Amino acid sequence: MARKISMKQAINEALDQEMTRDPLVIMMGEDIVGGAGGNGEMDAWGGVLGVTKGLYAKHGDRLLDTPLSESAYIGAAIGAAACGMRPVAELMFIDFMGVCFDQIYNQAAKFRYMFGGKAETPVVIRAMVGAGFRAAAQHSQMLTPLFTHIPGLKVVCPSTPYDTKGLLIQSIRDNDPVIFCEHKNLYGFEGEVPEASYTIPFGEAAIVREGKSVSIVTYGLMVHRALEAAAALAKEGIEAEIVDLRTLSPLDIDTVIESVEKTGHLVCVDEANPRCSIAADISAQVVQAAFKALRGPIQMVTAPHTPVPFSPVLEDLYIPSVAQIGAAVRRALAGGSH
Amino acid sequence: MPTIGLIANPVSARDIRRIIANASNLQIADRVNIVMRVLTAAHSLGVERVLVMPDNGGIRALLQRHLSRGHSQHQKWPVVEYLDMEPTSTVEDTFQAARLMHAAGVAAIVVLGGDGTHRAVVRECRSIPIAGLSTGTNNAFPEMRESTITGMAVALYATGRLSAAQALAPNKLLDVSINEGAQRDIALVDAVISTDRYIGARALWKPEALSAAYLTFADPQAIGLSAIGGLLQPVGRRDPGGLAVQLGHHPQPAALRLLAPIAPGMVRPVAIAHWQAMPADQPFAVLQQGGVVALDGERELAFDAGDRVQITLRENAFPTVDVARCMQIAACEGLLRLPSTP
Amino acid sequence: MAGNPFPLDKPALLEAYRRMRTIREFEERLHVDFSRGDIPGFVHLYAGEEAAGVGIIGQLGDGDRIASTHRGHGHCIAKGVDPMAMMKEIYGKKGGSCGGKGGSMHIADLSKGMMGANGILGAGAPLACGAALAAKYRKKGEIAVTFVGDGASNQGTFLESLNLAAVWNLPVIFVVENNGYAESTSRDYGVAVDSYVDRAAGFGLPGVTVDGTDFFAVHEAAGEIIQRARTGGGPALLECKMVRFHGHFEGDAQTYRASGELDDIRANHDCLKKFAAAVTGAGVVGADELASIDRAVLDLIELAVVQAKAAPLPTAADLTTDVYVSY
Repeated sequence: MARKISMKQAINEALDQEMTRDPLVIMMGEDIVGGAGGNGEMDAWGGVLGVTKGLYAKHGDRLLDTPLSESAYIGAAIGAAACGMRPVAELMFIDFMGVCFDQIYNQAAKFRYMFGGKAETPVVIRAMVGAGFRAAAQHSQMLTPLFTHIPGLKVVCPSTPYDTKGLLIQSIRDNDPVIFCEHKNLYGFEGEVPEASYTIPFGEAAIVREGKSVSIVTYGLMVHRALEAAAALAKEGIEAEIVDLRTLSPLDIDTVIESVEKTGHLVCVDEANPRCSIAADISAQVVQAAFKALRGPIQMVTAPHTPVPFSPVLEDLYIPSVAQIGAAVRRALAGGSH
Repeated sequence: MPTIGLIANPVSARDIRRIIANASNLQIADRVNIVMRVLTAAHSLGVERVLVMPDNGGIRALLQRHLSRGHSQHQKWPVVEYLDMEPTSTVEDTFQAARLMHAAGVAAIVVLGGDGTHRAVVRECRSIPIAGLSTGTNNAFPEMRESTITGMAVALYATGRLSAAQALAPNKLLDVSINEGAQRDIALVDAVISTDRYIGARALWKPEALSAAYLTFADPQAIGLSAIGGLLQPVGRRDPGGLAVQLGHHPQPAALRLLAPIAPGMVRPVAIAHWQAMPADQPFAVLQQGGVVALDGERELAFDAGDRVQITLRENAFPTVDVARCMQIAACEGLLRLPSTP
Repeated sequence: MAGNPFPLDKPALLEAYRRMRTIREFEERLHVDFSRGDIPGFVHLYAGEEAAGVGIIGQLGDGDRIASTHRGHGHCIAKGVDPMAMMKEIYGKKGGSCGGKGGSMHIADLSKGMMGANGILGAGAPLACGAALAAKYRKKGEIAVTFVGDGASNQGTFLESLNLAAVWNLPVIFVVENNGYAESTSRDYGVAVDSYVDRAAGFGLPGVTVDGTDFFAVHEAAGEIIQRARTGGGPALLECKMVRFHGHFEGDAQTYRASGELDDIRANHDCLKKFAAAVTGAGVVGADELASIDRAVLDLIELAVVQAKAAPLPTAADLTTDVYVSY
């Protein structure tokens, strides 16, 4: 019986094991150690939510607290990667991408291509994503579509501690720039995780529930909402198959198509806003590649086209709910009406 | 209309001594503040027009931003006119500005800069009194003084409330001549012979490359190469004569070594072979064959073996505004008292 | 006249001249060929600025990294990037420094420590901080240099990088190439206080201002700053006041300049003329030796153009390669 740890602990363990294995792995971010320059405890925070606590004691000055200047230090991580280091930089909240996006999408993403295949930029940028913390509009977004859109970036968003550890280790060993999205509302979620080091390849979705009535394709926190919805639907005789994408770029569209060919119905669930979302992307790809397999219209369940509201009652309406997923499945099976 | 000149050097205190020593960097914004203080203080004592050297180093641009905000209840200043010249961002600008101010007959020139800037002004304009404000690296020549007071003292002189006898002080300088005047220049504080034979980044700070120093005055409280004299045998600004120091490198053996603050924060041993008083009007021949003459801390004149370099000290060579004496007299004679009703 | 008064020996002086002349002729040839319509896209020429590029980069090794600007040909050539490959790249051909996939604004050669010309101004500053961070971990005394213009010195990335470099004591040098114009906008307008040394001072970094058209002034100041960085002395800023001979981009009519300004620049502020006068005037180098370099450089540039024009175009298959190491 493997031990159970939280997603937060899985992240910490992956970082620790990789830093132990490879001296080129360094980390930087705001407060990832915490206490720098002050008079109290060093490693006071170990990250704003304690994810990196304890790493400083083991790896010392390979963890760098940064000043409050994302474009400088994210850019520095990218520059160091281009010069042979393997940095893991933390962008505390993915919402902060605006102040450093150029370094990510115009620099890191494009070096290899622009420089004719002669650059390698093995940088990992970890960032918290997602709503449900009552952190309001600027600290709660699911911006995965923006990064997925950019050629040259890889985008990872695990839903379980097991996937988190394996995908993070894979990300660090990968030689391309990776945006590693950690859902803040899953940090405490526990699951079985082997103690040894292991990797999970990119571009491999996971079937977390088998079924033959409908394919629910999703990622991140929504995987768990989908599982809850599936449990309720099972009582109605609807057996949902749930495909956890795990990596959005590269995308395992083949597993999605295989599932749709089996079930004939597709519901895409995405915590991102609806326009140009992952849900829209999957839907279009499936229509183009597997139209004949579809026995009814695709349904997309996403957040609304609004910023994330603060008031808990509103935020709870913002995040796609179990009920909304269930309703979408029934609509899909009923040919799309009501 | 009482008119004064103002020459503010944007590139003093910008050289390599910021890197190899801990020399200060006086920001452009602060230099402009200094200029504004001179302007407003001078205006309050009746100076109505100031001729200013234009520059492309940032002072004019920022000064214009300040002046274009217009007078307020707290601040008024004289009419500011820029000289009709095209800045080249070299010492030529200072030479040109001094010539133009001389031609325009300004009563006095306020100078913001280091030793080199003041030297450049005096070189082209010996007769007009200058009031120096140190914004350079060494500042052996100009005083560390609050610019408001300098503005006031200069205004008192420029408006005639103080006479020349009251306001001005005589100063020494060094005449430097190569090959009987084929090249001529001056120094206000020191002419130092360096064995380095190229001008490069100009600043001089390596004691092993120095062979002689000729000083108009030697103040033990100054930094820079004149400190070598100041800590051997001090000579005041108003004392007769100066000091000639032969530095000890082969072939001349060192008689002693002296710790001297040759650059900001840099106290270094300097080998001394020999020193003697330097009376006025007596030419001293430079022994070194081939090198550079640094004038007031900056490499300026290259010379080859066979060139004859002569340094001659002159007394009473140019006037400066003696700000301390001006303010003392102003206080004692009640020059700043106003009637009780306006 | 006896001996060499310069701090570089004769071979080094000739090499410096050769690099500067190569940049000059490379750029002037592009100016001509661009106006004939031979070259796709945008080019931004470094002609007139050679003394700064070579004065600084000439003192770097392959292990030292530089991050450049959109006006990067001069930095590339100074750093040892092959001009033949550069010309092919500018023409968008296979065999170009980037396989034809980067173009003028993105020429890079990581094997020579050239982290790329960059179309995003100010973006190089954080990247160079990263290179300097990597150099710190490697402990071989290597450094990084980043170039920005007077305009790009206003970018947040640049200012943030000054702070980051100071906080982490990075061996990085910030070079501000102050040629007076950000595209068409004069620094008198766009820069609140025209002193980049003062900006560095705000972050506790020392800075030096030099005449960027004087190779020896640049060389000396850069030498001290580089040495300081190599030995753990930390970051610094070097402001080079200079002139550019051409427009912001080729095709720029430059109506923002005063009349006669360009002629005055070419006549009185040509860094190559100044260098040549200094070294021949001191009797260290003969005019004929420089002329011989000039001829060799012109031959090289001509060959580069001929080969670039003859080189094959990339194919449709090249479109989708090298997005990732593996996908």
